[in-house]
Amino acid sequence: MKGVVSLFIGLFGTFAFSWVGLTVIPNLQIGALNPQMDEEQTDIYPAPKSGMAERGRRIYAANGCIYCHSQQIRPDYASADVDRVRDPGPSPRPKWAERRSAPRDYIFDRPVVLGQERMGPDVANMGKAAPTEEEGSAAAPAANAPPNSPPPAQSPPANTTTPKSGTSGSPAAPATSPAPPAGSPPAPPAAAASPSPAASASPNPNGLPPAYSEAWHHRHLYSPRSMSADNRDSTMPAYRFLYEKHPISGERSADALQLEGSDAPPPGWEVVPTYEAKCLVAYLMSLDQSHPLKEVKTAPGAAPLAGSPPAAPAGSAAPAGSPPPAPPKK
Amino acid sequence: MTPAADIPLKEPTVSAAAGDAEQLERARIDASTRVPVLMFYASAMVWLLIGTLLAGFVSFKLHSPDWFSDVSFLTWGRLRPVHMNVMIYGWASMAAMGTAIWLMARLCRTTLRHPLLIVTGIWFWNIGVLIGVVGILMGYSTGYDWLEFPPYAALVLFVAYALIISWAVLMFRFRRGDQIYITQWYLLGAFLWFPWLYAAAQAMLFVVPVQGVMQAAVGWWYANNLLFLWFGAIGLGTAYYMIPKVIGRPVYSYHLATIGFWTYALFSSWTGMQRLVDGPFPAWMITASIAATILTIIPVATVGLNHHMTMQGYFPVMRYSPTLRFTVFGAMSYTVFSIIGILISLRSTARYLHFSQASIAYSHIGLYAFFTMIMFGSMYYIVPRLVGREWRYATLIKLHFWASAYGVGLMSLMLLVGGLVEGVDQNDTSMTFIESVASVLPYLRGRTVAALLLTASHFIFAFHFGLMLFGLGRTSTVPTFLNPVEAEGSETHL
Repeated sequence: MKGVVSLFIGLFGTFAFSWVGLTVIPNLQIGALNPQMDEEQTDIYPAPKSGMAERGRRIYAANGCIYCHSQQIRPDYASADVDRVRDPGPSPRPKWAERRSAPRDYIFDRPVVLGQERMGPDVANMGKAAPTEEEGSAAAPAANAPPNSPPPAQSPPANTTTPKSGTSGSPAAPATSPAPPAGSPPAPPAAAASPSPAASASPNPNGLPPAYSEAWHHRHLYSPRSMSADNRDSTMPAYRFLYEKHPISGERSADALQLEGSDAPPPGWEVVPTYEAKCLVAYLMSLDQSHPLKEVKTAPGAAPLAGSPPAAPAGSAAPAGSPPPAPPKK
Repeated sequence: MTPAADIPLKEPTVSAAAGDAEQLERARIDASTRVPVLMFYASAMVWLLIGTLLAGFVSFKLHSPDWFSDVSFLTWGRLRPVHMNVMIYGWASMAAMGTAIWLMARLCRTTLRHPLLIVTGIWFWNIGVLIGVVGILMGYSTGYDWLEFPPYAALVLFVAYALIISWAVLMFRFRRGDQIYITQWYLLGAFLWFPWLYAAAQAMLFVVPVQGVMQAAVGWWYANNLLFLWFGAIGLGTAYYMIPKVIGRPVYSYHLATIGFWTYALFSSWTGMQRLVDGPFPAWMITASIAATILTIIPVATVGLNHHMTMQGYFPVMRYSPTLRFTVFGAMSYTVFSIIGILISLRSTARYLHFSQASIAYSHIGLYAFFTMIMFGSMYYIVPRLVGREWRYATLIKLHFWASAYGVGLMSLMLLVGGLVEGVDQNDTSMTFIESVASVLPYLRGRTVAALLLTASHFIFAFHFGLMLFGLGRTSTVPTFLNPVEAEGSETHL
């Protein structure tokens, strides 16, 4: 009988050791963090998200976005995460992050969706990549403009970011890339393939909303491979069940999606996001870990829409009112 | 094949009257477990087929995303967790409990009392899994890996588990004989660890939720411990029973087994955080788990050595015994699983492999190549003893084995190599992100081929199992061998 008692004590003991060691003690260490704030109790970070964004997080989790998109940036010594830029987007293209993620970034997150795989890019700073205010306001009419009207002030596509098909000669279109969606109008190759700033002035026949704007997210969710040559190989499923197609009654809805080719609804119909889709996009656009944290080094020269050379003074990394970041790395 | 002559291919029998009494007792014990264990296996088979079809679907959709993507409950992001949870809670857990209950009855040399209560538990468990699956499909997934079932489904599972396992523990209470065999250590461990693990995870994630990243820590602590302390423990315990039983030879060393068991319990329970390497956590947590993962080489070495020395000279039996062939494959995969676990969790390799398909390969090697293969082996041993018939077609068993072995081998290879390619590309900032995705696509297509092989293998097995269940097996006193045994040349078993 003695053997049985010691067996059970051993079984309980080993597991209790692991339970206490890996969940209880860490919980004492990082389980009750407070937001960071400066001396005047202002500039609080992080802040809880809005109700819509919180609901969007549930939709993000329930539809399995977590299995392909991470929301954690590894430190610079462990990976190239902080050096990576997003594929589509204006030039200079938005960086994935300026700094690594820290426990404090997630204190209001439930469920926390750190992710485990990257079949798609990290989205920890997805909201940060959105166009800035003036770009956004300039882009707003573009989202509602009828097809084939040029969006004003479209940022030039980065060198590999050609807006549409018809660029098979460009380096951005790998030979293996699948055929473009049927019916999508080919872009004028000369204008599309040109990385020069002049391209920004040329008409964008596809009416693509500015990258990472609200309209862009909706269209990307609805038709992930229609966005640019960069996305041709994307394996993201379309989330069309988050959108409704219905006949236009009276005026076209303000939030109706801009779609072309085979994606476009028949004449007299429109595709509008459901409330769930709006929540999801609100959530994606709320993701932002760019605020400096005292415990984490921020990359030098970090600035909104960075990509600027690291010659920029370190102080420029901090948005107004926040404490200066730690000295530049290395 | 001369060695076959002196190799006992039947259950080792003690001759004459004493043997008869023992045989009779065994038959009585087996009969008492017949209904619940067969119910476990039948449920597990149904879930296995569902999970397999889902796996093929998920694998295909990952490189061809537009397939059925417009239907909310057929979207990849919902089917993937359904596949995972069906396999974990439907197939693997039910097969594990079936085998564990049977082993427990045999090893405690006691009949299973009140099997109807276990049967009730099995119904509850099935209902719990079904509720969870429907919940995920309807969009109520919790978003925690391996715990996607909505909490109300988890509650049903918990009630079911309490009904089932209290009987296994009761059997232990009424055991005869003083000796506690190695298998029983593993089984008792699994029986006690699982409810603790499951309750702790549910409590810390849903009842009194922990803050922020601690949820991810609890989640991965749960997932890895489920893999090691629930599936791994039952798998190893089964191997410790089946290998000596089939070859009719005692385990090589009791001391090695003791060392192997306690180091396994101690070190593997501390793994988990390495799946969050370089994430937003205090570095000590991750380092502790990496160290524990490296230390699991001790149980791997001792258990592996023990099995190897037990098998020494008896490897040719694998030519004949389906049970042994599957079990040894699984036991060897345990070594591979642990070594790959170490290789992918080191910080220097995690840089490339962390967010890649390699972690999917790791889970599949653990849950399939190691655990599921041992479960197949145990089913080939146990089912004939429950239905009183022998497996009908040796060819089907061989097909099952080779399709499974090649399937999981190909899948692991594709995911590991594809993961490495993907991870190296993602760390090369001169490449766009989408190029890293494009580079892994050929490997994902290869994985779909592997999924087809596994699908074939599982349907073959399910058909064969169905024959047994409906009493269409062979009536014979000799088990079905994979190849005719020359020593007993008069019998051909096809």
